[in-house]
Amino acid sequence: MAEIRLTEHPILQFKRGRKISFTFNGKKLDGHEGETVAAALHAAGVTTYRRSPQLHRPRGFFCAIGKCSSCLMTVDGVPNVRICITPLREGMKVCSPKGKGQLPEDDPATIWTWPGQYVDKILETEVAIIGAGPAGLSAAVETTRMGAETVVFDENDGIGGQLIKQTHMFFGSKEQHAKVRGIDIVPLLLEQIDDSRAQIMLEATAIGLYADKTLGVVRRQELFGLRAQKIIMASGASENMLAFEHCDLPGVYGAGAVQTLMNVYGLIPGRRVLMVGAGNIGLIVSYQLLQAGVEVVEVIEAAPYIGGYHVHAAKIRRAGVPIHTCHTITKASGQEKVEGAVVAQVDSHWQPIPNTQRELAVDVICLAVGLSPTAELLFQAGCQSCYIPELGGHVAVHDENLETTVKGIYVAGDASGIEEASTAMLEGRLAGLCAAESLGKKAISERKEEILSQLKELRTGPFGEKARKGKEMMRQEACRYGL
Amino acid sequence: MKRRADAVIIGGGVSGCGLAYCLAKRGFKDVVVLEREYLASGATGRCGGGIRQQWSTEENTKLAMESVRLFGQLDEELEYETEFEQGGYLILAYTDQEVEQYKKNVAMQQKLGLDVRFIDPKEAREIAPHLNTEGVLCATYCPSDGSANPFYVTQAYAEAAKCLGVQIELYTPVTNIEKRGGRIASVVTSRGKIETPLIVNAAGGDSVSLAKMVGVELPIVPTRHEIMVTEQVEPFFTTMVISFKHGVYFRQEKRGGILMGYGDPDERPGFDITSSMKFLRTMSRKILNLMPALHRVKVVRQWGGLYDTTPDALPILGPVDGVEGFIQINGFSGHGFMLAPKVVDLLAQLITGEELDLPIDRLHMDRFLTGEISRDLSVV
Repeated sequence: MAEIRLTEHPILQFKRGRKISFTFNGKKLDGHEGETVAAALHAAGVTTYRRSPQLHRPRGFFCAIGKCSSCLMTVDGVPNVRICITPLREGMKVCSPKGKGQLPEDDPATIWTWPGQYVDKILETEVAIIGAGPAGLSAAVETTRMGAETVVFDENDGIGGQLIKQTHMFFGSKEQHAKVRGIDIVPLLLEQIDDSRAQIMLEATAIGLYADKTLGVVRRQELFGLRAQKIIMASGASENMLAFEHCDLPGVYGAGAVQTLMNVYGLIPGRRVLMVGAGNIGLIVSYQLLQAGVEVVEVIEAAPYIGGYHVHAAKIRRAGVPIHTCHTITKASGQEKVEGAVVAQVDSHWQPIPNTQRELAVDVICLAVGLSPTAELLFQAGCQSCYIPELGGHVAVHDENLETTVKGIYVAGDASGIEEASTAMLEGRLAGLCAAESLGKKAISERKEEILSQLKELRTGPFGEKARKGKEMMRQEACRYGL
Repeated sequence: MKRRADAVIIGGGVSGCGLAYCLAKRGFKDVVVLEREYLASGATGRCGGGIRQQWSTEENTKLAMESVRLFGQLDEELEYETEFEQGGYLILAYTDQEVEQYKKNVAMQQKLGLDVRFIDPKEAREIAPHLNTEGVLCATYCPSDGSANPFYVTQAYAEAAKCLGVQIELYTPVTNIEKRGGRIASVVTSRGKIETPLIVNAAGGDSVSLAKMVGVELPIVPTRHEIMVTEQVEPFFTTMVISFKHGVYFRQEKRGGILMGYGDPDERPGFDITSSMKFLRTMSRKILNLMPALHRVKVVRQWGGLYDTTPDALPILGPVDGVEGFIQINGFSGHGFMLAPKVVDLLAQLITGEELDLPIDRLHMDRFLTGEISRDLSVV
């Protein structure tokens, strides 16, 4: 049987950090520096972390990018730690909470001296960018190029957002990094950011965004404020869940989680995978699984057609993976983790057709059933929202310059409506350009025109239809709010 | 929507829905409730959910004690799980002045039959583990105080009222109130006019502008009050803790989140209910002083709502002089939810012409004209 840790990969090379040890419920385990706690546990064969508080169901990770709350554990006495984005450190004590997380014991040495004075710290900057993914980094390229003092922060311990797991080559034109792999785009973007104007803060989580454009940020247990003249929200998206029997079992993973395990940490998610969803993400991740030597049993898709590019579909079909449209998953089986899945055909009302059930022996059910924009902070700041299914659900109303109904707050990338990384980068650049321009920085109007025309180009054709429709509905919403 | 009704209640919070239910229960069923947005979308759904009987004035204490009794019957009467729990309230005293005041309060409260007593800091820490009792001289503790879910209570009243024939119109803001010869004649809404001889003003912070439509000036100052709540941790205390010195209250919700708020003395009157960084920072600092172990617990949500504050922090209940058929149930100054069950019962008695089983004359609007007010001191 193949090892969980990949040593060979057609595209990636995994340089693992030094070996470090930690404990899981008192048991000593080894991991590598540079891994998250969740990755190290997965590599050690631990899939169930804890029990759900009420029904005592097994819980593992689901999204692996810090957006859901499936992997909350007590780490070094701190309750409810998202171990999927927490870097592993030597000697860490990782424990399953008893019920919900528990407070640490009062420490007589420090108890009455808390809190420190830093709570009152408020930093100032011209532009604050939330999220260092494709949209956020691209925004910083433009704001720093135009001379605006910029702070980019991200709750992960590295930059790049979801780009760091995208091993496929991008489409489009040269400007859009065509034929470059997502993983190789991150250094290209970083190169273009003017260091003298930018500060990148990692492991920093924005927990509040207020109408006066102040952000509440928590960085390594420290709360501080950041007041910015312009804010660009590039916080990405979260993986959608699908409701079916036992969908909470460990082994039901989001597509982003599977990519993270494989392409960032070089870990296979399991041996036999059922892929749910034949959009681009489902198809690409299926191919990446094959590249990592994992068997993809089949790809199912509830719609009567394949949503992703046919070139991706053809690649996995050539490898012998069947793609079944008009199919859904009705059940996951297994006690402690996924041991199988039941799939069925659906009728034109998306209802499973009786007597079409088939049972598949799989240990991973990968959900690639869409994303939802992460836009809660915008709504807290009072930005008007609207519901546009084509853009992934609730989104902040924004104008052509990506400015929301709160002046000076911009949104870009998946947070503005679900598309893909190429449009996210262009939107980031547009938001950065417009934010800097409104600060009085000298704008280059040709560049804006250029970005707009590239965006238009990417949204043409049958595969851009959804985004086109969504953005058109957004234009109407924007008019309603006088934008 | 109806074109005429025996009574129109403006406001779909706990007071409006509760009153509609109490009226319908008495056979007064031709009632319409108008709500600008959705049920409990105003102050009710934004409050801390605490239910306290420890007050400095007899009026509030009596109302609160009766409300607690009624809260205890609500689930059965309305056939709804409202999450009413009697986890107690702990009020911390830090100064001799506070101790003196609380002695007076407790004497009055005990005389009224409330199960309140003084406890020492050690016992306070047993009731609320992790509590920083440094500087605490003593505390008052009332185990029958508690909390309930404001959304559920409102929904419970609303559904029971609907079953009895009350109509509740959501997303229907009031644009005008019309008088005829010193009497209420009709209410104009975004969806048309309703002829009615009786309007109840249960609109919280917006009661002021509604009253203005018929020339009544209510001495109510709408003021933002903010709250935040943490992620869920295993339940470790059930009581609400109040420190008037810090202007803070906090409790752990049944599901584990720790909910907290404080009264900001610098808050200016207005209708702004957005959240602020100032609150996040100040609240964090205050709570970490009172319960330092929370420094490892993450904040997940914060929000704001309106206090409809009167000069004596007591509600305005009943008719007003000069406009016949215009009943007030507002000015609760941040305590409308906890007082609601008894207050709506009393107002229903008043409207249907029954004899009131608890006098509310001193809560009449004219107390502000005669100047006979005594402020309740137990207000956060």
